[in-house]
Amino acid sequence: MLEHYLTAFATILLPQNLLAICLGGLWGLLAGALPGISTSMGVVLLLPFTYAMSPIGAFTILVAAYCGGITGGSITSILFGIPGEPSSVPTVIEGHSLAKQGHAAYALWVFLFCSIGGGIFSVLVMMAATPVIANFALRFGPPEYFALTILGLSVVSGLSGGSILKGVIACFFGIFLATMGTDGITGHERFTFGTTILLGGINFVTAMVGMLAVSEIFIEAQEPFQEYKGAAGYSGMKTKTEFPKFSLFRQNWFNLLRSSCIGTVVGALPGAGATIASFLAYGEAARSSKQPEKFGNGAIDGLMASESANNASTGGSMTILLSLGIPGSNTTAMLVAAFMIHGLQPGPLLLTTRPDIIYGIFVAMLLANIFLLGLTIGGIRLFLLLNKLPYSVFSAAIMILCTIGAFGISNNMDELYLMFAFGVIGYFMRKYGYPVAPAVLGLVLGDLAELSLRRSLLLSFGSPLILVTRPISVVLLAGALVSIVYPLLKKPKILQDAG
Amino acid sequence: MKKDELIANVGVIVFFSFMLVQATELKFVRRFGDMGSGFWPIMVLSGATFLSLLVLIFNTRKYLKEKKTRAGEPQEPERSPQEIKERRMKLILSVVCLLIYILIMPYIGFVLSTFFYVLAFILALGERRRWVLAISPFLVTAMAVAVFGRFITMPLPRGVDTFAAFSRIFY
Repeated sequence: MLEHYLTAFATILLPQNLLAICLGGLWGLLAGALPGISTSMGVVLLLPFTYAMSPIGAFTILVAAYCGGITGGSITSILFGIPGEPSSVPTVIEGHSLAKQGHAAYALWVFLFCSIGGGIFSVLVMMAATPVIANFALRFGPPEYFALTILGLSVVSGLSGGSILKGVIACFFGIFLATMGTDGITGHERFTFGTTILLGGINFVTAMVGMLAVSEIFIEAQEPFQEYKGAAGYSGMKTKTEFPKFSLFRQNWFNLLRSSCIGTVVGALPGAGATIASFLAYGEAARSSKQPEKFGNGAIDGLMASESANNASTGGSMTILLSLGIPGSNTTAMLVAAFMIHGLQPGPLLLTTRPDIIYGIFVAMLLANIFLLGLTIGGIRLFLLLNKLPYSVFSAAIMILCTIGAFGISNNMDELYLMFAFGVIGYFMRKYGYPVAPAVLGLVLGDLAELSLRRSLLLSFGSPLILVTRPISVVLLAGALVSIVYPLLKKPKILQDAG
Repeated sequence: MKKDELIANVGVIVFFSFMLVQATELKFVRRFGDMGSGFWPIMVLSGATFLSLLVLIFNTRKYLKEKKTRAGEPQEPERSPQEIKERRMKLILSVVCLLIYILIMPYIGFVLSTFFYVLAFILALGERRRWVLAISPFLVTAMAVAVFGRFITMPLPRGVDTFAAFSRIFY
């Protein structure tokens, strides 16, 4: 194992990979900080740049963007009171209150240290847990894989937003899209309607770019973007008086540790993710605080808790992706597409067949979190400046990126026509309250779910009992059931309060 | 709950039902235990159709309930008709711009189509500042060509005849 780590460090420390971490981190920070671009959209827009890169370079830039996006969402939360990401809502409550009291730089320093600390903690947990889970997952056969994909698809309840029913319909739509093209077992054409465009199936990236990014631009065109107003005073982060004392972190060590643990564990659970993690940690900090009356008016321990948990969720989510091949969140679903673009199948076997990739990702995430400290300090002024750019130009640039991204998949215009179609479909889905994230998830996992179910049934000569007579499969299916039912029965009170 | 949402619900049911009918024609079983190509799509589409029906029922009940409670109350529109018209026009123009862009790109090449697309798109979004209109098409096109055409050497469409010769100047 040490040998793998040494090789990974040697690879990631190459100048081109360090540059990839810096560029990916900056892009992620920008995507998180700017309205209209989410972390997942930032990762999707970055995918076309990775086509020509080596797999390790591609994952270095993508994971750096992922970590950067989660961190970047809090910058606008503190300075403008607008959450760049839903998980940054507690940061808005406490961080923006502090900024309005004239302590913007103080809040930013604290957020930055806690965010980076939470991120590094979760990466260390990921490094320890991934090989253990992956080794266990090597025992999995088709029934276990089917149960695992169902567990993965159960995150739909967490990605659905308003209506879980519509989220499930969107997920079914995604799974249906995955059935288009040539059947992997019998070789028959399905839903191609005599066209050659659909013969090879629908590419994830094309559908993702269309449904997530292009439709977002259409929505923004109709509902004009509201520019940031009422920014709290920010004069830079170089003022010594605003730099937090070490004693602050020493006094809050338990809060930080607990929040990082919550973030890592909740991030690893399907259907949970950064939003629930940051709210849970924030709620727990409020419950155990010596000054609960301060919460809502700039409680520093609340800010520390939510930020630690927020960034710690990245490691948890990545652990499940790398060890089991199941995306636990919207952004990790984009990373599954990245694996497939480079001809790799994420899952337990990857640790054996391509340890350079897995250990490279570990090291890249660790370094990305460390680099983000400097990148954020240096980048804040740039993000504030970019926020003043005309949104129309920004939208046009994003649309060009989408076009190039879709074209670059196979250097074929057909992908552009499909991207356009998915853009229109995505627009109507959003307009009528059908979330697009579950559709993307369904598209990513649908193929694996079908193949593993059909292989299971072949093994059992058509008996579906094979799915419920193997212990691991039963546990995973029960987990999926809990993951779907639990949010329906009990939504955390703090999330209900947040609307 | 608006009427167009109900229409959208019906559209979703029609789509899934149509695909379900298509899926029933896919039942190929070759060996014992194999459920055939149509098995999974039929399962998925049946679930989707059933859930879409549920959504339609819930929404219809909600719509009728809201209609009953609103009867007699004067209704104030959230936005003026002029504003609604303007927003709809922006959306239609941005969709049309993208469609034309991807349709003409294989003929006139990436450079020219991108230049005209950026200009048309920002105009469609309501941008009227002259410096933005003058600078941004050049800037966005130049950056895209520099990064993707030159640096990553992606084979971006060059167009045909004269347009291809023009594109070769840049990448």
